[in-house]
Amino acid sequence: MTTETTTITNKMTTRNVDVFYGEKQAINGVSIDIDMENVTAFIGPSGCGKSTFLRTMNRMNDTIPSCRVTGEITLDGEDIYAPSMDVVQLRARVGMVFQKPNPFPKSIYDNIAYGPRIHGLASGKEELDRIVEKSLQRAGLWAEVKDRLNESGTALSGGQQQRLCIARAIAVDPEVILMDEPCSALDPIATAKIEELIHELRGKYAIVIVTHNMQQAARVSQRTAFFHLGTMVEYGDTSEMFTNPQEERTRDYITGRYG
Amino acid sequence: MNNTASPATQQTAIVGSRSTDWQGEVMQKRIVRRYAAERRFKYLGLSAIVISSLFLAFLLFVMIGNGIKGFSTTQVAVPIDFASATGGASPEQISGEGAERALNSLDIAGVVNTAIEIEYGAEAGDIFTENSWTDVRDALLSNPDMIAGNTTVWLTAKSEIDRAAKDETDEKFEALYAKLKDAGKAQSGFNWGFLTGADGTDPARVGIWGALKGSIITMLVTLAMAFPVGVLAAVYLEEYAPSNRVTDFIEVSINNLAAVPSIIFGLLGLVVFLSWLELPRSSALVGGLVLALMTMPVIVIAGRNSIKSVPPSIREAAMGVGASPVQVVFHHVLPLALPGIMTGTIIGMARALGETAPLLMIGMRAFLTSPPQGLTDPSTVLPVQIYLWSDEVNRGFVEKTSAAIIVLLIFLLTMNAFAIYLRNRFETRW
Repeated sequence: MTTETTTITNKMTTRNVDVFYGEKQAINGVSIDIDMENVTAFIGPSGCGKSTFLRTMNRMNDTIPSCRVTGEITLDGEDIYAPSMDVVQLRARVGMVFQKPNPFPKSIYDNIAYGPRIHGLASGKEELDRIVEKSLQRAGLWAEVKDRLNESGTALSGGQQQRLCIARAIAVDPEVILMDEPCSALDPIATAKIEELIHELRGKYAIVIVTHNMQQAARVSQRTAFFHLGTMVEYGDTSEMFTNPQEERTRDYITGRYG
Repeated sequence: MNNTASPATQQTAIVGSRSTDWQGEVMQKRIVRRYAAERRFKYLGLSAIVISSLFLAFLLFVMIGNGIKGFSTTQVAVPIDFASATGGASPEQISGEGAERALNSLDIAGVVNTAIEIEYGAEAGDIFTENSWTDVRDALLSNPDMIAGNTTVWLTAKSEIDRAAKDETDEKFEALYAKLKDAGKAQSGFNWGFLTGADGTDPARVGIWGALKGSIITMLVTLAMAFPVGVLAAVYLEEYAPSNRVTDFIEVSINNLAAVPSIIFGLLGLVVFLSWLELPRSSALVGGLVLALMTMPVIVIAGRNSIKSVPPSIREAAMGVGASPVQVVFHHVLPLALPGIMTGTIIGMARALGETAPLLMIGMRAFLTSPPQGLTDPSTVLPVQIYLWSDEVNRGFVEKTSAAIIVLLIFLLTMNAFAIYLRNRFETRW
């Protein structure tokens, strides 16, 4: 992605998004803008809908038959729920990192190379090697695994697996990376590495991270959205949000009154 | 003092755990009882294993004990002076293109029967069958030079003589065999004819190859039909089918189909494949199709279960990098589900291999003296052959039945071993 844009451009926008599971409404009228320059964090207590909302942004919830999304979500101004939008391509452009590290039970190399292969991003073995190396380097994993690319991805430690998953997402050259509580299954040291990585990736990709760890949100993000009971209560600069929240519910949550 | 303290202690005894007497007599008794229960269960399990092992050992012991005799044969010597009996036929005459026709014109049957008559006189009918001369014809075809000389040929003896050699027949034949043996005119050897021949009327001359080949062809047809259709059905039902009443109905129907008695599949095959589609009767093709119908539900059920057990996180991971539904299935779900699918296939195929009833319905019980040459040739299969031989009056078929059972078991074990080898190769280590 080009990084020379100095003015803040919205990569993704959502307007009045409602999500229903059958009759039950899980998300209520969320409007938010995601830009390239900032890392956006979604915080909120468990079950507030932040993960559900994140999954609408690359249509991962299409797989749930009872799930219905209304409102508008755009990527570069294009409605991602429009019939003309190819969902497979959308998911390549909007990558995702999941809560639990989920590498394929294949070699480290094949884990990274899978995406580029199915999208035909590499014209030969050499180029594929280069993509694998670049992706692993960006994910800060290259030094640790470069001598054992043929070993199974599942043999790595939890933190390494999660960085492998980030490298796998990077390998298809996405524009947006959605991270769904990427550190919740990791120890503090592995968490610190992932957070460092998020810092480095900032600006190259639009990053959205869901977390229920407020310190983490404060550390990694520049913009924060606070969700509660399916609605977005407050959205603003992270520093502002943590020092001077506008809404009482946000203040209560941040000060640990509930959640 | 005691009196005043007791209500308080009583209360803690109920609520707090501190006053629970872990070392007390009641607790110790509980421990003893628990250990006894553990031991009882262990011995129960052990005895179940021992009993089933005994059954298996008994089965194998009896089968091998009886069947091993079926693999040996008794031959009796007959000296034949081909040169004079055939009036000086040359080896060239009975080799090459028209060898068989030339042999027929030489009346080998007459030559052999005369030679037998000369050697054994009145006893000839008790030692040889009227088909014994075919051994000579086969020997001449493979070795034409014999026709120019005077040789002693070893002919397969009648089944009664064979049984006398394994000492289990009436006195007349035992005496006859003893006489032959003393004269050095009888020998025992491995019964190659059993491994290469097909069914017949004389138990000493029957072979298993016809039925074995029929079984192999039938199993190949079954596998070729049931595996792809079963796996695709399982994939569709698990990954694509919308969850509604129709899907539920199909699911219930498939589960029921797996429990339908096999003879009903035979009737279905009789009506659909033979009457409507007019496929060749008694053929391995129809047999394989009928068994495929029977095996398919088993594969579908096993396939669905193992597809279901592939962790959803793998699907999400694949979708997350932009894999299409087909790519998710074929690159990730199926490879991970394959070991489970193969287990189901092994079970289904093993059941199909041992199946007799549905094949009787479509006419695979014909008496066939030559192995099938293709899919549409009349053929039989091992379990049907076993069934037919076990029904024979001639005592000589008893050991052949057991021998055929051994062949069936070896086939089954080979098939399973191959499938397990494949499954272990595909098994992914997490």
